[in-house]
Amino acid sequence: MAFEAESKVLFDAMVAVKLPGIVDAVNKAKDAGMPATDIINAMSSGMTEVGVMFQRGKLFLPHVLSAAAGMNKAMEILGPELAKSGDAGAAKKGTAVMGTVEGDVHDIGKSICSTMLQCAGFDVHDLGRDVPKAKFIEEIKAGCNFCGMSALMTTTMTVMKEIIDMAKAEGIRDKVCMMVGGAPITQAYADKIGADVYGETANDTVAKAKEVAA
Amino acid sequence: MGMDIPHLMASGMGGIRSAGDLVARMMYDKKMKLKDAKAYVAKKLGLDCVEIADECIMRDLREELGIGVVTGVPGAPRGIAAKMNIEKLLDIKINSCEKFRQSLKN
Amino acid sequence: MKMTQYYTRMGDGKRVQMTREEILSDIQAGTADAADMAGIPALNDDQIEHLIDIISCQDRVVGVAPGKEVVMTYDIGQLDFTGDNGNSGNGVDMGRLEAALLHERALGADTFELANSDYSIKPVKPIISMEKQTMEEIQQEIVAPFFYGAMPNMGLYYAPDGPYQNPADLMREFKIEESMAASEAAAEHLARDIEYVGTHIMAAGSDGFNFDTTGSAGDADFVGTLNGVKALRAACPEAYINVGAAGESVMGIHGMIEFEGTVCAGLYPHQQAQVIAQAGADVFGAVCNTNTSRSLAWNLARSVTFIKKAVEDSPIPVHVDMGMGVGGIPMKETPPVDAVARCNKAMVEIANVDGV
Repeated sequence: MAFEAESKVLFDAMVAVKLPGIVDAVNKAKDAGMPATDIINAMSSGMTEVGVMFQRGKLFLPHVLSAAAGMNKAMEILGPELAKSGDAGAAKKGTAVMGTVEGDVHDIGKSICSTMLQCAGFDVHDLGRDVPKAKFIEEIKAGCNFCGMSALMTTTMTVMKEIIDMAKAEGIRDKVCMMVGGAPITQAYADKIGADVYGETANDTVAKAKEVAA
Repeated sequence: MGMDIPHLMASGMGGIRSAGDLVARMMYDKKMKLKDAKAYVAKKLGLDCVEIADECIMRDLREELGIGVVTGVPGAPRGIAAKMNIEKLLDIKINSCEKFRQSLKN
Repeated sequence: MKMTQYYTRMGDGKRVQMTREEILSDIQAGTADAADMAGIPALNDDQIEHLIDIISCQDRVVGVAPGKEVVMTYDIGQLDFTGDNGNSGNGVDMGRLEAALLHERALGADTFELANSDYSIKPVKPIISMEKQTMEEIQQEIVAPFFYGAMPNMGLYYAPDGPYQNPADLMREFKIEESMAASEAAAEHLARDIEYVGTHIMAAGSDGFNFDTTGSAGDADFVGTLNGVKALRAACPEAYINVGAAGESVMGIHGMIEFEGTVCAGLYPHQQAQVIAQAGADVFGAVCNTNTSRSLAWNLARSVTFIKKAVEDSPIPVHVDMGMGVGGIPMKETPPVDAVARCNKAMVEIANVDGV
């Protein structure tokens, strides 16, 4: 494999979650002639590993953000080359509207999910919690192709189905990947209400969203 | 109740049905682990560790000691009165009994 | 020859059939996952064999031998009767005295608690006098230890409910230092509220305080609670203090916040027990969350592995949290009786818990 050593250095730098180290690895790979898209791909693999380590309690949110900041910095450094090769938007995997559904004020899990999606290269519109149903629909109409809905309570999880039904009624259901998650949500419930993705964890959500985006 | 009843059936001491409340008190009052808490209570009751979870033995013994029973027995100590008897039995202080005593004028 | 199939469950409660080999494979994977995450020993062959026997037993209800019973403590107060399905309640409206006495006299509770309907500490402040009044009343009638219970729920201290900015939102904007500062300020506020509510309720004769789902808003929530517990212990040496965790690992939202020199992010149950004891708690409520996509065998093996190590290392008694979606129990509002009984037996006989 070409640039195997550089790929490993980039991966390791991401997992080490130190911004200067990441920037250094990017510059060295660039100077060695590694194509910008390959650099981004190697870094994305590192970012995925960071997500796994977060889920397993080995890294914490500031570490994840530090790695994501490195990713952003790489995009700045490689921007001109990516633009030349027509891959400027290569790292953007989709636009996701995220929110805890109306009536529910629990947002820790949803916020972590938003953060991890952002780190994975999605453009995230996080609407917070207790989000009115119509707001999700507005965002989908405005171009979001992923809709992440969270609920912590069995009394509020039913709102997810209402939003999916509203999207159907508006004729926009096929334009969006409906993702659901939260403590009481299961794959069976996601299937029952016609959601496309059930995220057991933030990492699981990101992995499945990336599959859909691919 | 899908959790409460199966837990009680599977391994619960049964609260005031047996001596579960007393073992719990020793855990919280003295940070005793289960084995020590059970041994302490058993010794105070003059029983062994199997007998303190035996409803048949504990029903009558609790009434005799005035430490609260699970069935409605008119005149038997309950609430604060039963807990005052538990204080003496286990040689501990119980907060609600302390507050009750402090509220008495004489 | 067709292999014998055993009825068992998935983490969402669904009934499935598995062979003994499939159950064994899931148990091995579950215990290995816990061992790898927390750097603790996996279950040994004898313990795995015992777990297979418990799971593959086709009796509807299983239980422990006489003399092996454990203490059974209850959380969420009267809400399991009065609450809606949001907290798995039965929707039966009743007074808190009736609920307490029913738990004591009909459900075999070894301890019970008083709770406000929000079940968070912050909303108790404006209603503390009413809570004290109810506590005094119930203490007159009840015999079993009767706590006040609530969740630290530090999420309520962040905008729009509270005065501090949401750390997760700040993180997404790469304002890492501001995020950490917001978490620290909220944790201090939480600790003050715990001391306030705790000392007031102890003055009303409560046996103690049960802190439920500590750390649900991350490591700062965990540290804030421990500081509150420490203050409550200093103010009320007589208080029975139970600290229950929110998960098998303390979520690192802040990442570096410490309790008395220990970074709390990423602590596993056996490590959580140490700091919780250090803060002055009497009993540790250990938690392991259920993965709904995995089998009962996988979840229970993983959960028992975490809890067993916590019991071994803890300086104080350990009561495992065994409600809906924790301790191997399926995440279902009506958890199947067969699954609940199996999880209970495994926790008592293999993890050697002091209570449930």
